[in-house]
Parts: sequence; structure tokens; C-alpha cells
Amino acid sequence: MSDKIGVYVCECGPNIADKVDIKKILAEISALNEPPEKIIIAKKHKLLCSKEGQDFLADEITKNELTHLVIAACSPRDHDITFMNVCKRTDLNPYLYKLVNIREHCAWIIPDKDEATEKAIQYIRAGISRVTYQAPLTEKELDSIPDVLVIGAGIAGIEASLSLAGENRKVYLVEKTSSIGGKVTKFEKILPHQGTDLDIIQEKIQAVQENENIEIFTETEVEKAIGFFGNFEITLKNIHNDEQKNEFKVGAIVVATGFNLFNPGKIPRYGYGKMEDIYTSMEIEESNFKTGKILLKSGNPPKSAALIHCVGREEKGYCSRVCCNYMFKIAQYLKEKIPTIKITEFYQDLCLPNKADQKFFVDTKNKGVDFIRFKDIAVKQKEKEKFIEYTKIDGKKEKISAEMIILAPAIEPADGSKGMAELLNISLDETGFFQEAHQKLNPVATSIDGVFIVGSAQNPKNIPDSMMDAQAVAGKILTQLIPGEKLIPEVIISEISEAFCTGCQTCLSVCSYGAIYFDEDKNISIVNEAICRGCGNCVASCPSGAAHSKHFTSLQIYQEVLEAIR
Amino acid sequence: MNNSDILIIGAGVAGIEASLLLADTGKKVYLVEKTSLTGGNVIKYEDVFSNMECSTCMIAPKQQEVLQSENIELLTLSTVEKVQGEIGDFTVTINKKARYVSLVDCIGCGMCYDPCPVSLKNEFEQNLSEKKAIYVPCPGSLPNVPAINPKHCLQLNGKKTCNACVEACAFGAINLSDKDEKIEIKVGAIIVASGFDIVDPAGFPQFGYGKYPNVYTAMEAERLYASNGPTEGEITLRKGDAPPKSIAIIQCVGREQQGYCSSVCCMYSLKLAHYLKHKLPEAKIHNFHSDWCMPGKYYQKFHHDVKEEGVDFIYSPVDKIKVDGNDKGLSIEYYNGKNEKEKLSADMVILSLAMMQGKDTASLSKLLGIEQDKKGFFMNQGIQLGAVDTSKPGIFLAGCAEGPKDIQGSITQAEAVVGKVMSYLS
Repeated sequence: MSDKIGVYVCECGPNIADKVDIKKILAEISALNEPPEKIIIAKKHKLLCSKEGQDFLADEITKNELTHLVIAACSPRDHDITFMNVCKRTDLNPYLYKLVNIREHCAWIIPDKDEATEKAIQYIRAGISRVTYQAPLTEKELDSIPDVLVIGAGIAGIEASLSLAGENRKVYLVEKTSSIGGKVTKFEKILPHQGTDLDIIQEKIQAVQENENIEIFTETEVEKAIGFFGNFEITLKNIHNDEQKNEFKVGAIVVATGFNLFNPGKIPRYGYGKMEDIYTSMEIEESNFKTGKILLKSGNPPKSAALIHCVGREEKGYCSRVCCNYMFKIAQYLKEKIPTIKITEFYQDLCLPNKADQKFFVDTKNKGVDFIRFKDIAVKQKEKEKFIEYTKIDGKKEKISAEMIILAPAIEPADGSKGMAELLNISLDETGFFQEAHQKLNPVATSIDGVFIVGSAQNPKNIPDSMMDAQAVAGKILTQLIPGEKLIPEVIISEISEAFCTGCQTCLSVCSYGAIYFDEDKNISIVNEAICRGCGNCVASCPSGAAHSKHFTSLQIYQEVLEAIR
Repeated sequence: MNNSDILIIGAGVAGIEASLLLADTGKKVYLVEKTSLTGGNVIKYEDVFSNMECSTCMIAPKQQEVLQSENIELLTLSTVEKVQGEIGDFTVTINKKARYVSLVDCIGCGMCYDPCPVSLKNEFEQNLSEKKAIYVPCPGSLPNVPAINPKHCLQLNGKKTCNACVEACAFGAINLSDKDEKIEIKVGAIIVASGFDIVDPAGFPQFGYGKYPNVYTAMEAERLYASNGPTEGEITLRKGDAPPKSIAIIQCVGREQQGYCSSVCCMYSLKLAHYLKHKLPEAKIHNFHSDWCMPGKYYQKFHHDVKEEGVDFIYSPVDKIKVDGNDKGLSIEYYNGKNEKEKLSADMVILSLAMMQGKDTASLSKLLGIEQDKKGFFMNQGIQLGAVDTSKPGIFLAGCAEGPKDIQGSITQAEAVVGKVMSYLS
């Protein structure tokens, strides 16, 4: 069958028409006509992107039974989609069309009309050459499962489950401990501007337990998760009994594995673990929650307390964001329970990023809490008395004694984050938290479609922000994974030729999406078409030239360049 | 039956994100924007902290998607005038000002600018450059279609007969008899993503803004650095020919008065210091700061890197800083960490100003029947109901309309709103 290529030059009003010689272009392109193998139809139009222009193109494609389409006009950024949509209106496969940019690349940048015309002709020839090597590609449709696996039943996981579960969507909520609710259940109070008390948390826990579309697995971990967005195969395993397994399929996975606290014992100068009555903030929360009291080991209430912020901040390399606020809260606990107590908070920077935080700080200060900004700090003991020795911002060295010392340890990634990342094929960033798909624009997604991260698994977060993440994931999943609707994966993807693949597996190591798997029997790498996003990493790294990107094959590029540089 | 169409007020990064997600499900979205372009404040930045990614490159594909989406009706130069009804059944009247240029016919070639005889201050460029009465605020604006300011267009304000732009347009895209319209729409939910404003530096005379030409706001400095800005990225001063040899960045201006930390200024001040070190490696850069607020996991490293670049960090309470000027330049009086009075001279001073609620928050809140908090932002409902809910069911919040936040925070909140809207309307 012969190729019948339509070449349409857009005048773009005066933008192209005044700067290149369209008549000459059409003459030279028409001269490439080599019937019967290659028939070229070359025409111009005032404005191809206009409605009238699009109708003209659609009519030309059908009337002339074009096999390929080349448009010489503006940047693909402006109208690639427009012209692909025109193709879709006809029988012409949209991947058998090519947009050649003779406006930004020629008309607008080359003052000499003859030169601009020559370059435009070269580019159009290159486009014609390329388009004949292009292959038709078709969109595939995949069935999807609307159900969701949520890993971690802390406040973020609970909120995500509640936001997602519904009549047509089941949620599997997996928790490795024996109860749900996470660390939040150990607090007596949350911050005043986040709500009055913790009833809301208990209500949410109850709501999860009562929701018939949420299935809870405690003391359980994820053993296997393979698949892709819309279709993951999950195996769960009971922590105490390897034989007790659950298998099911989900469309998406939400990682809500929370955080750990930095162990202050790693920094000897805080005296943690060596001296009495030095506690972490979480230990105070827990004992206060259990007993309603904050007491020294002796059983007496402390007469003085030193609250030290930023423990491990320098070591971890980031600010944990929530500590300043909860240290104010602990100071307020102490003041309520022991009104005569003397409290000093030692801080480096007060991080108060919420619009209501500063008021909470001022209120705490007004309750008689002292605040000292320090440069260096150490806890010392002399006989039974403990001292905080510190250097102030002005360089002065001072010390005060304190009966009780409370440390705010940095928030660090949860145990097992590395294993979880490997299991799900997602990445950890340099801080050890799960890495988001995009720092700014896609913070709850990961590099793997369908795997999401929420709460402190992504970045140290407070309760409202963790819940916000959970709702954000619901926003993503409820709009992308609609019950009964099919998913359309990327069309321009990689392929690995079975004949050329030597099984070196270089491609597996460079694929950011986990889209390549290795077939042990055949000893070759294979691209999973549902996962591949067409980035081309495997193509560039394949030493035997077995990997190629559909629509960007070496042959297509070679033929295009060959004409462009003639 | 419940209406599942959605009105989104504000086409900044939060409004765009919410629009795209909802439109993807086939829902009809009305995206109402009071200016002539989309992208909000994010498009004013050259790069974003802390990865220093090109801001317009990051957001432009999303803006483009908005324009190409069949389910999003973008109404520029438009404001909400009246809202009636309740969740599932709101009737909204929108006041759509005439653009005088067709979004369909204009291809954005820009041939109409030169012939226009009127020159005006360009407020998008913080008045650092001029524009014509027919204009796009900056190169790369999306939609890439100009608008005509009827107050200044000679034909439209009746001062003179002028048809210059109409004659210059090869596409017949300009229609000077275009009229303002009132549009009535019906929607099931409303998302308020109307953004923020910056406090007026005139409220802080001690820093000499307005009195000394070389005192700048951070947003002005941002546009000075931007490659599509008024100087195409060249750091030039309002007064004087040479680029500045010494620059002082003063943080937390307006924090005390506003009563909250704006949470992004530390980071954008560091970004400005990094910008300036990059363009003017020889310049001395001083950063006057109080407590560092760096609530993201990548932020402290950025602070460390900027310090390594040689930026001089001075811990100094902002309420004791004073800027004076003389013929030679600017002089900054401040108290150092030891509480000793010191002086430092600089050619340029940049003020990192607090964020505040958008100027139309009060009127919008009245119109929508939703509450403002004590700081003036729209009030959320805490964790009981949610940080995206307002006091009125069916009206939600996203982005800086709810309180100061960075781009990541605005995106997350926009996605969270979509989560809520999807569960309400399904």
C-alpha cells in the first residue's frame, strides 16, 4: 500500500505567513511526490487551530484517505492535543500524525525570510520522513478494582479509611499492633485550636469499627503487594502466626505507617537514661494519660521542670514541626496540675506555622512559663540535683536547676519504613521518610501510581495535617478510581525485544516505576504495559539496544534527524 | 435532584488543582478568576523553594490542562456577586467583565501591544514596569490572550477615537463593543480558593518603604529576579546605575501586628538570598531573622546550604530594626544577639512581609454566608468537621484563603476538598 501524506502549513495569520515563503515551501514539499509509493498533498490554511481549520483538516484526511498527516505550524505545547483530537474524529490513528514547529523554531526567530523558509522546509521534510516510520498506537482499557488497602491505623489511616469506604468501595485497614488509633490515643488533650478534647478521636475509632465497608486486621502486616494502579494483589500475614494469611485485590494502597521518636539516649549530654526524672514528651503524655498525674519518681510533684526542644534536630537534619506546640501543651498540663511549678522551656527556634499557633505560645507564656533561646545545652547532675547548663544567644553561659526534665525528641521515620518501601517499590528520601511523587504538586502520591503516602509517614505532621493528607488521598482516589470505570494507561511506553535482550537486567535498576520484571525462564526483561510511563530510562541504559520507546524509536529519530541536517 | 456541578473561586494553584481533579471525573467546574489570567501567585516566582524548580515550568502544564479541559469553564475577570440556596442547590450570579479580546479567536501573537498608544504601570510586576491598555501581565501568561483595561483604553474611555489594536489584529479577535455580563449558574458545591494578600509595607514606616526607592518588598525582589519579569532577571535598583553590592533581607515584617507567623517567609527569604548570591556572587547578603520556621523535611538542609553560600545570618528582633537613608545608600540600625546596637549599610533592602487574608475576604464571606476567623482568614471547622469545611455546608476552603501555607500545603488542601466534595455529591 502506498503512503498518502497530507502536509498542511498554517499561516498563523501573519505570524508565519509574513516571515516565511509559504508558496515556496508548498512547491518544494509537493516536489517530494513520488507516486505511486509516496503521494504528497501539500496545502496551506489561514489558521489550522481554529474551528474552521480543524474542520478543514478532518475533511482533508477523510476526503483524501490520508495515511499520514504532517502539520507545519506552532509549538506542540500549544496545539499537539488539538490536532490529535482532529485525527480522532477521523479514521486516521493520531500517532500517524506529526506537528512540525515552524513558528517558534523558524518564523519568530530568524529575521531573514529566505533562511527561515529554508529551515522550515528542512524541518517539514524531517517531519515527513519521521511520520512514515511512525506506527499506529491504541489506548488500552483496564478493569480496575475500587477497593483500597490502608496500612497503619493511626489517625491518618483511620481518616483515610473513613473518607474512602462506601457502598461501592471496601477498605482493608491493616495495623501491626493489637489496637487501632495509633499514638494519638495516648494523649490527654490535643491543642486547643485543633479541637476541645479527644472525644473526636474516639468517635472516629468507633466509626471505623462500626463501618461495614471497612475490614480491620490487627497484629497483621503486608507480606506481598504486586500489581499496578487499579489492580494490586495483596497478601496479609498475621504477625504471630505465619499460616494465617489473607489474600485479596485492591486498586490502591495508602501508606499511613506514622513515625517513631528519636532516642535521646543517643546524645549523652541530655542525660536521658542515665539520670532520674528525665523523660521524653511521649512518656509524659502516656503516664499523664494513664494516671492523670505528672509526678517525680519519688512520687512527689516536681517543683520545677525544664522542657528542652529540638532534641536530635541537628542530628536528623530537619525540624520536626510539631514539637514546639506540644511542648507548650505539656507546660500547660504541668501548670494546671501543679500551679506553683516553675517551668522553663529551652528552644532554638519556635516553629509556629499554623495561623493559630502564635496565640497558643503567647497564652502559654502568659501562664508564667519562661522561654530561653539557647545555643548549646547540657544536663548535668551534682549529687541529687540536676542542672541545665546552657549558652544563651548572647554567648552568656548560665545554669538553672530542674527537678524534672522533659525532652522533645525529633520525629523520625517509623521502623520498617525501608522494608515497606522495598515491598511497595516506592522510595525513601534523604531524611528516611517516604518520598512524594513531587515535593510541591503531588505530595500524597509516590512514584508508583496507586500507592499513596499520608501523615507522618511523609513528613512530621500534627493531627489536623495528617487528617488533611488522608482527605487529600481520598480526593485522589475518589476521582481516579471510580467503580465500574476503566483505567487508560500511558500509550507511549517502552518495549523490550525478546530477541535482543541479553538478560543483563540493567533496565530493572533504572526503572523508577517498577514497570519491568525479569522472566527467569526466558532470561529476559519484560515491560509491564500497565505500569510503564514511557520515561525512556531503560531505552537509554540498555547496552544491547533491546529496549525501545514506542513513538520514539531509534529509527524514527534517525530518519527525522537525517532529513533535518541534510 | 442534587446538582453535582461545582463553582471554584480563584484560579491559583489550589483552585487549579481542585478543578482538574473534579473535571477528570466528568463533573462540570466553573472556575471563576478575578484577574485576566490563571496561576495566582505561583507564576510570579522564578523558582520554588527548596528544590529550586522553575515555578512556571512546574505550573504551566496544569494551567494548560485547565484551558484544554472540556469540563472546566474558566471565567476570567469575573467575580461572584450573589449566592443563594444550599448544598446541592446553589444559585450563583457571576459578574463577568468584558475582556474585549476573544479567548477563542486570539492566538496570543502579541501584535496588538505595540500599536496601543497608552502606557500604564503594570501592577502584576509590582509596578516595576509598564504595560499597554491591551496587555498580558507577563510573558507566558495563560490564557495567552490579552485583556483591555476599559478605564485606560482611549476608545473605551471616550477620550479619543482609537482603533489601533483592532487594526493590528490579524484574527479579528478584538471586539471593543464587548459588554460586561451577568451569568447565573447552578452548582451543588462551592470551593473558595481566593488566596492571600501581602500586608502593606506603608504600615511599617521604620523600614523606609516608599521613602527610600531601594527598599523593596520580597515580591518586588522576586519579580526583579524573574527571567520573564520587568528587567528580564537583571537585578537593577530603582535608584542608581550599578547593581547592589550589599543587600539586607529583613524577615518577619508585620508578624507581630498580624499575630501569627506566615510560615513561608523564612523559606522564601532564604530563596531570595540564594537567588541573589547566584546572580551577584560578589554582593554581601545579610539576613535579619528571628526564629526560623522551617516545617518541611527538606527545609533545614536548604537553610544550611544557603549559609554555606556565604549569606550572613543575623539574629535580631525585627521590632528594633530601623532603616535610614542618605545619598550613599541605606543604613540599617539593629540590635545584635548580645542586645547591642549596631549599624550596617546596604544598597538594597528587601522586606519579607507577612501574608494576610485576601482583600476581598470580608465581602466574600458576607456574600457566601461563611465565617472569618480572628485573623481575618476564612475559618475552618477544626478537626471535628474538617479543615476544609466552612461554617456553611456545601462551601469549602482550599489554599491560603484558609490561612498562610506553602504550595505543597495548598495542593494538599485542594485535594482534600475534592475528597470531601466527592463524598458529599456522590
